[in-house]
Amino acid sequence: MKKIFSPFGRINRQTFMILGVVQALVALVLWHFASNGLIPRPLKVADAFIKLITSKNLLDNVLVSFVLTIKAMAISIIITLFFSYLSVIPFFKNIALFLVKCRYLTLTGLIFIFTLLTQDGSQLKLSLLIFGIVPFFVTSFLAVIVTTDNQQFEICKTLGYSNWETLYEVIIVGKADQVLEIIRQNFAITWLMITLVEGLSMSEGGVGTMLIKFNKYNDLTNVLALQLVIFVIGLFFDFILGNLKYWLFPYTKLQIQR
Amino acid sequence: MTAYTKAETLLKVEDISLSYGEKKILRDVNFEIRNITRPDVRQGQVISLIGRSGIGKTQLFKILAGLKEPTSGKVSLDNGNAIKAGDMGVVFQNYYLFEWRTVYKSLELAAKKNPELKDSGIKTAINRYAEDFNLTEHLSKYPQQLSGGQRQRASIIQQLLNGSEFILLDEPFSGLDVLVLDKVKELLLKISLTDERKTLIIVSHDIVTTVAVSDTVFVLGLEGNKPGATIKKEIDLCERGLAWQKDIHKEPAFIKTIEEIKSYL
Ligand SMILES: Nc1ncnc2c1ncn2[C@@H]1O[C@H](COP(=O)(O)OP(=O)(O)OP(=O)(O)O)[C@@H](O)[C@H]1O
Ligand SMILES: [Mg+2]
Repeated sequence: MKKIFSPFGRINRQTFMILGVVQALVALVLWHFASNGLIPRPLKVADAFIKLITSKNLLDNVLVSFVLTIKAMAISIIITLFFSYLSVIPFFKNIALFLVKCRYLTLTGLIFIFTLLTQDGSQLKLSLLIFGIVPFFVTSFLAVIVTTDNQQFEICKTLGYSNWETLYEVIIVGKADQVLEIIRQNFAITWLMITLVEGLSMSEGGVGTMLIKFNKYNDLTNVLALQLVIFVIGLFFDFILGNLKYWLFPYTKLQIQR
Repeated sequence: MTAYTKAETLLKVEDISLSYGEKKILRDVNFEIRNITRPDVRQGQVISLIGRSGIGKTQLFKILAGLKEPTSGKVSLDNGNAIKAGDMGVVFQNYYLFEWRTVYKSLELAAKKNPELKDSGIKTAINRYAEDFNLTEHLSKYPQQLSGGQRQRASIIQQLLNGSEFILLDEPFSGLDVLVLDKVKELLLKISLTDERKTLIIVSHDIVTTVAVSDTVFVLGLEGNKPGATIKKEIDLCERGLAWQKDIHKEPAFIKTIEEIKSYL
């Protein structure tokens, strides 16, 4: 019992799980008794959640958001890798650094420009998403490149590698596992933005559209249920990407065991 | 006394100095490494560079490896060309390897850079070295799965496959237990026997172990009040009859030499 509250205390897996379940239950009970009619009670949300996930409507919308997310992430990662890899070349360094600073441009202010530049709603959504994601991806990846141990470069030099070969070995191959990690970590941001951009062009649906509709009719129960769905999908993705990393790059698991 | 002659110069270090801002680390470092030939024995050279902690050994090491530009002076090979990164094999203090490659793959990448090894030869060479260095069963592992000694051997093989005549080793004896230490000594000897011109340069502060395997010792230290370390003493162990012998460290002459080196530190 004491261990649970001591810094760096070690508890076994089972205790940890039990602890988690108990904490979740306490939170639910608190929620139940704290809600005063305005905020729907947990059981009601659970009920709505079940209804929601068994409806075809949800599946369709999730699929729409999902495809859009994947598309945006795929294009973003290509753009990110392109500029990040090239950032080691002085000529391209400024572009990469500028992309990083683009995090401070808010999307909302750019919607109109993007509307003018794009042909239709789906293009608008996609380009906004990409524009939103890329700076975060580039930021994370540049941080990875910057922290490269100088010895990695030195060993390449002593083996007689040219600068291009070094770039390939140390940055492209050596950091491949990090690319996946960045996708995983930034998936949350993408998932967050998707609800934002889907509100802009409602015709194609998506979870963001659903969320806005529920909100409009003050259907708080369904809003919370849908939030739960979004949350679960996010966790699922996190899990899949995490395992994909261990499978593709077995050495990353070894580092953790150390 | 063993017969030997000193033939051509293999490496020439001229007037090397290194400063960081106002602080002089190295000054007027001059020395030459010559090919030592012995009748009927094909044997390379083992040079040791000894000095106190913080004196500038690693800095000099990096200059010799072509990884660092000295403030002035130059290091040249016997063809007169200035040294550049890639001319020398380097085994770093922490036995650095590509963490994302298996040992085999790392060795293969190094071997591919060796013009003397062709495709079919690479595999044979890797397996032969792995056999020699007790690493066969670890070839498919990642560096993270190796012990310190295994990493060291992997990184030595990597440089051997790369094929440079010179191999620089930074503190190859630190952190090894006595048995492994003997193994590493044996191994260095084995390497020096692979080629007449093969030259090992060992940078270390473990005087006894290093001197026991060397034929020439350079002591790096400060002279009087002058700033910056320089070569204070060159000791030719061949001349003293202290090179190429197995149980050398029991001999009185060896013990005396160690005392002498200590006095220069
Ligand atoms: N980038 C740097 N800027 C300023 N001074 C430096 C720098 N790098 C090294 N030095 C100084 O150079 C000196 C020599 O360092 P070096 O690492 O060569 O020592 P060393 O002889 O290898 O010591 P050890 O045996 O402890 O490894 C040290 O006093 C160190 O503080
Ligand atoms: Mg050092």
